[in-house]
Amino acid sequence: MLSINPRSTLTLGGRPLHAMLVPIPIVCFVGTLITDIVYWQSGAMLWANISAWLLLVGLIVSLVAAPAGMIDFFGDPRIRELRAAWIHGIGNATALILSIFNCLIHTRDAYTSVVPTGLILSALVVVILLVTGWNGWALVYRHGVGVRQTQRP
Amino acid sequence: MKFARFEAVAIAVLFALVGCGPAPIDPSRQVGPNPYLPPIHQYLLPPMHIAKIVGWNGATPSVAAGLRVQAFATGLANPRSLYVLPNGDVLVVESGGPPGPVSRPKELVMNWVLKMAHSRTKPGQRILLFRDTDGDGIPDEKSIFIDHLNSPFGVVLVGSDLYVANTDAVVRYPYTSGQTRITDPGVKLCDLPGGPIDHHWTKSLTASPDGSELYAGVGSNSNVTENGIQAELGRASIWQIDRASGAHREFATGLRNPNGLQFEPQTHTLWAVINERDELGPDLVPDYLTSVQDGGFYGWPYSYYGQHIDPRVQPQRLDLVAKAIAPDYALSSHVAPLGLVFYTGTNLPGHYRGGAFVGEHGSWNRAVMNGYKVIYIPFVDGRPSGPPEDVVTGFLVDGDKARGRPVGLAVDSKGGLLIADDTGSSVWRVSAASP
Repeated sequence: MLSINPRSTLTLGGRPLHAMLVPIPIVCFVGTLITDIVYWQSGAMLWANISAWLLLVGLIVSLVAAPAGMIDFFGDPRIRELRAAWIHGIGNATALILSIFNCLIHTRDAYTSVVPTGLILSALVVVILLVTGWNGWALVYRHGVGVRQTQRP
Repeated sequence: MKFARFEAVAIAVLFALVGCGPAPIDPSRQVGPNPYLPPIHQYLLPPMHIAKIVGWNGATPSVAAGLRVQAFATGLANPRSLYVLPNGDVLVVESGGPPGPVSRPKELVMNWVLKMAHSRTKPGQRILLFRDTDGDGIPDEKSIFIDHLNSPFGVVLVGSDLYVANTDAVVRYPYTSGQTRITDPGVKLCDLPGGPIDHHWTKSLTASPDGSELYAGVGSNSNVTENGIQAELGRASIWQIDRASGAHREFATGLRNPNGLQFEPQTHTLWAVINERDELGPDLVPDYLTSVQDGGFYGWPYSYYGQHIDPRVQPQRLDLVAKAIAPDYALSSHVAPLGLVFYTGTNLPGHYRGGAFVGEHGSWNRAVMNGYKVIYIPFVDGRPSGPPEDVVTGFLVDGDKARGRPVGLAVDSKGGLLIADDTGSSVWRVSAASP
């Protein structure tokens, strides 16, 4: 039975895979900004090391979450009709590319692994995530993307 | 020549694409007292250009005119340094460093890459003794001199006291001339900075000409403070250790990884070769040979080659930078000098008297390999005079495969130059072509 809502194509047990995974990179990249700031202020290398791990874990999960999102995006034309989906997709792709660069910057040694380029990239990514998150929530909670519903209540 | 230029351009284009930075310059611009220092380039992706270890398979290194080279010993387990005893016996230190910690993802990659650049043989962690009984310069007897050591490197004999610098302590053993094995457990003279992080682990050792003091090279615990400044206590320095009490003071500091500690025979001043920092570009920072001044500060980590500030170190110490001494003689970048010996023998042609041989282990983080050879630097009145000359080469084949990598050097009792070759599992002996 076709859902009346835009449908998620890649699901696990009927739950959209993309929505399951995205919280992990979001938390990791927000965490990176926090630990970058703490390193910048304290100079204690431990915080820069934590940033590097958070970035790596965020990136690895993103590399699964992003294709899952793209499959959903191309899987149902009703999703592609939504402006929020385009903003969400292009924004997150940008955040992902910036995070790859950020990950490389964080492989530098000591201070310049964070300040200033790493810190700026971490902050930019969080700003982008606020916008893409806002639009992502619109996709689910306003347009019902991936929410299975066969009949209007 | 044309091909070399094409190759250089191709490498430059490739590196621009992956963000690996500028093409390397000709290393000859960075040798001698006034090296050219290009602007800093911080990588997005640092080059990891590892020479594939192919082994010698019966081949031998190439030597300069008037010299010949023979295998002194083969089949060794990572020979890193050499010491010649007064009776002519040669000590070969088989050693390797402790595993590096993984405190960030980069180190997972680095440890794997550096493992490829080193010998696959498990280091012996012991000292072997070789004896030449028939006088041909090549040993015919071998014994395990001291076993079960902790990443040993430096050895020095003063009277009947033999000192071994493990990575974490200087240990004294009683030695009598002719002895081929020491079973005495030894007595610790002095602790040295070892683990849990032990980034530059080789502790070079020598004694003052009067024998009252020992000097130990203690390398830094990071490339440039990325393990935190607190991990650098007592490191990147040369320690002066009182032989009677074991008390120490830092004789000179700011020396990132000092090795090959030797007293220049004419002036009796201390010299060393220093491995400088990485990841500021293919041609920064030149490694160097320098005399070491009592109380001198040579820049690390705050500045390089005198007072060139390294932006990666915070907080900065401009008060220390202002005091930083520019070293005497650059060897060009990333050559990794680990061995130094002043030639006082008489076997080699007269051309080689009084100057210094330097063993260059070779680069791993430069798109075009550099080092992988033993060079000679002429000295006049106790100072380097003139450009370095290649003396022993052929460690590198086809530009990026390593048959071996030279490390520690020594001069044997007959005046032959001995070269420890860790990845080549050998010790080479260079002597005059016609005696």
